[in-house]
Amino acid sequence: MVSHSPALAVAAVELAREMVHGDGPVVEIAAGAAGGFGTDATDVTVALERAASPDGVLVLMDLGSAVLSAELSLELSAPTYPVRLSSAPLVEGLVAAVVRAAGGADLAVVAREAEGALLPKASSLAEHAGERPAAAAEAAESAPGVRLTLINPQGLHARPAAQIALAVGALTADVAVEACGRRADATSSLELLTLGAGQGAEITVTATGADAEQAIDTVRDLVLAGFGELEAS
Amino acid sequence: MGTLTVTDAVSVDGLVAWLSSFRDAVHEHGSYLTELDSAIGDADHGANLTRGMDAVMTAVVPPPDTPGELLKKVGMTLVTSVGGASGPLYGTFFLRGAAAAGDAPALDGSAMLAVLRAGLEGIVARGKAEAGDKTMYDALAPALDAFERSLAAGSDVGAAARAAAEAAAEGRDATEPLLALKGRASYLGERSVGHIDPGAASSALLLDALADSLDRA
Repeated sequence: MVSHSPALAVAAVELAREMVHGDGPVVEIAAGAAGGFGTDATDVTVALERAASPDGVLVLMDLGSAVLSAELSLELSAPTYPVRLSSAPLVEGLVAAVVRAAGGADLAVVAREAEGALLPKASSLAEHAGERPAAAAEAAESAPGVRLTLINPQGLHARPAAQIALAVGALTADVAVEACGRRADATSSLELLTLGAGQGAEITVTATGADAEQAIDTVRDLVLAGFGELEAS
Repeated sequence: MGTLTVTDAVSVDGLVAWLSSFRDAVHEHGSYLTELDSAIGDADHGANLTRGMDAVMTAVVPPPDTPGELLKKVGMTLVTSVGGASGPLYGTFFLRGAAAAGDAPALDGSAMLAVLRAGLEGIVARGKAEAGDKTMYDALAPALDAFERSLAAGSDVGAAARAAAEAAAEGRDATEPLLALKGRASYLGERSVGHIDPGAASSALLLDALADSLDRA
């Protein structure tokens, strides 16, 4: 995380950690400079070294000079492991990336997820405006699978989407969730969010692969438990 | 060819004099830079460069042995002490200049041009600015062209630096009517028109300081 503000970066990381119950990937912060707002390429280098991994590092940045500092850091330190500078929005991108990485995805997938992180918000706003959101693929026909009804008040919003993505991501299965005429990859919390499935919506869960049955059971359990939100006011 | 003058090659001490002059200039014009940056930025350019150049002057006393080592030190110091975009931008300017200087003990006209050109290329690589984006590039690019033309016409480094400073000042002034396409100012859109770009202003001060320091050499 490269940010002009340490407070902003720390809070964003806390927000993202909530989605994965404190687990998830290493996140290092390079934020602030000379005691105030700003960025420092040498701090970015230090943070990169702390986060270094053969699996690679995804770098999220806030404003323009954060990008300058990150790029300068790469020029000066020339890391040997893969580093992706992400065009993702800082907060939304971080949350999406942390959830996806916690589910075990590789750098390319996590990067793509982060870059698509504005989609749920855009979809939600587009829906309110009566437009059709472009996001999860249209389901050509209803595939055979388990039909479930969402019982929790907010339906498949951010936390439930993250819970499904995390649980399914850990399994060896290709899992899809269909709802509202659209289809989402269940390992992508973003795609799940863009289904726009609210309370009472019917979802269909399909899975193939070695853990297919376990995956479906896992999703069913989460849905039937209302994602732990049934006692919430 | 004229007679050898003291301004034919810039030594480490000459570069320190340049930096010292620039430091004095940002102190003197700090409020002006900040005022420009308040109009179309986050109002910290004066403070950033003052802090940066104070740190630089501390870092270069005693100076390293060669111009290359000095310029590298200047670049890294700016990177770590200037928190805004000027840190990586001016930092890269000096770091690239350092690479171009190599281990030469002093910089003659063409070496100085090479240093400045490498620095400008670094700024373009880092900030991706083009002519007319309303940035420091709009002062630096015409300045370097003037420097090069002056040298080609047979002038010494001091005279070339003076020509560069004049061109930088014109370039700075020419940013006033431009629409900002880079940096914080670009968020302002039309509101950026009618204000001189602070980065162009500080770049003009930088070239002015170069000319002043060579005049006094």
